[in-house]
Amino acid sequence: MSESAVRIAASVTFFLAVFVVQAGAQNTATDLTARSASKPPAVQYLYPEQITLPAGKPTTIALHFRIAPGLHINSHNPSEEELIPTTLSIPDGFGVSLDHAVYPPGSDFTLPLDPNAKLSVYTGEFTIQARLIATAGNHLVEARLRYQACDNNACMPPKTITAAIDVIGN
Amino acid sequence: MKRNALVISAVLFILAGFAWAGWANFEYRKQASERLLASVAKGEFVTDPSSGEPQYVSPLQGKPAPEFTLEDLNGKKLSLSNYKGKALLINFWATWCAPCKIETPWLVELRNQYAPQGFEILGISMDDIDRDAPEKLSGEKKEIARFVQQQQMPYPVLIDGDSISKPYGGLDDLPTSFFIDRNGTVVAAQLGLTSKDEIEAKIKKALGERK
Repeated sequence: MSESAVRIAASVTFFLAVFVVQAGAQNTATDLTARSASKPPAVQYLYPEQITLPAGKPTTIALHFRIAPGLHINSHNPSEEELIPTTLSIPDGFGVSLDHAVYPPGSDFTLPLDPNAKLSVYTGEFTIQARLIATAGNHLVEARLRYQACDNNACMPPKTITAAIDVIGN
Repeated sequence: MKRNALVISAVLFILAGFAWAGWANFEYRKQASERLLASVAKGEFVTDPSSGEPQYVSPLQGKPAPEFTLEDLNGKKLSLSNYKGKALLINFWATWCAPCKIETPWLVELRNQYAPQGFEILGISMDDIDRDAPEKLSGEKKEIARFVQQQQMPYPVLIDGDSISKPYGGLDDLPTSFFIDRNGTVVAAQLGLTSKDEIEAKIKKALGERK
């Protein structure tokens, strides 16, 4: 292959590379716009953002959540088997494990069109008492809350949100 | 010579990168177009001037119902086109949806009442299913089947509704229903629990009866 052919190939490759990088940047921008326009989650993690625990010793922490006005989610013990319970979990690999969780009792709730069926739900703000065991060090934990939200007439698919907590194990 | 080989290797490597970027770009654009399709088909609540009540209006109204093929609980494939000539109610529901549980007995009654006039309901479950995990899939199908049995649903129940949610507006809330006339045109839609009378009025519209 001649020297000039190699140069041409290298130049074409360079310009294509610039084009691909630009296209990638455009895709990222569009993606962010699309995401920002999506529906906000029905449940929001409130606090704490940072906690300090004695390393290796089970310690109970209150995690606070808020449900959007007009919505309810099933409690941890829903009234019917098919309904999806609210559940907290901490995936492996964060240096912090969830030893046990105490959920608040649900409130009785009836849908206006079926006053006979009682549901056990959370509304407004609720707190989960989570007993955590942390290893020594700083851990940015992403606890997960799975829930299924409804209003008086319709339900949204089950969803899992992340509660980011900075856990310091002393 | 050695330098040329090096440049050619680098060019080939970069070209492989382009091929990957092209594929990734194609996938991204496919997803973006599906998102766009869902947002275009997404309905909204508008106030009905006659009653003053909020009424769900879908952009699909007046248009042909999007075609689909789904499996029932026995794995048999059913398409929308199989029901050509019938007035249809496509009801998207899930086992975890409490309002769906209230609505279903009304649907069963209305289906039995209007079936002789050429009316049918297609119940489409929006429960998650794991096609890649056969054991899990079998358990999920059993859960859906249990609900169908409890509710004594006499009409076809299809699974994996999520796979057709985009052309039907994303289906972010359940129950959601579409009423289709004998020509396959969407004549009405409904989001959330309303009343049996309201559903019946829309069935009559799909059958071509006057209110």
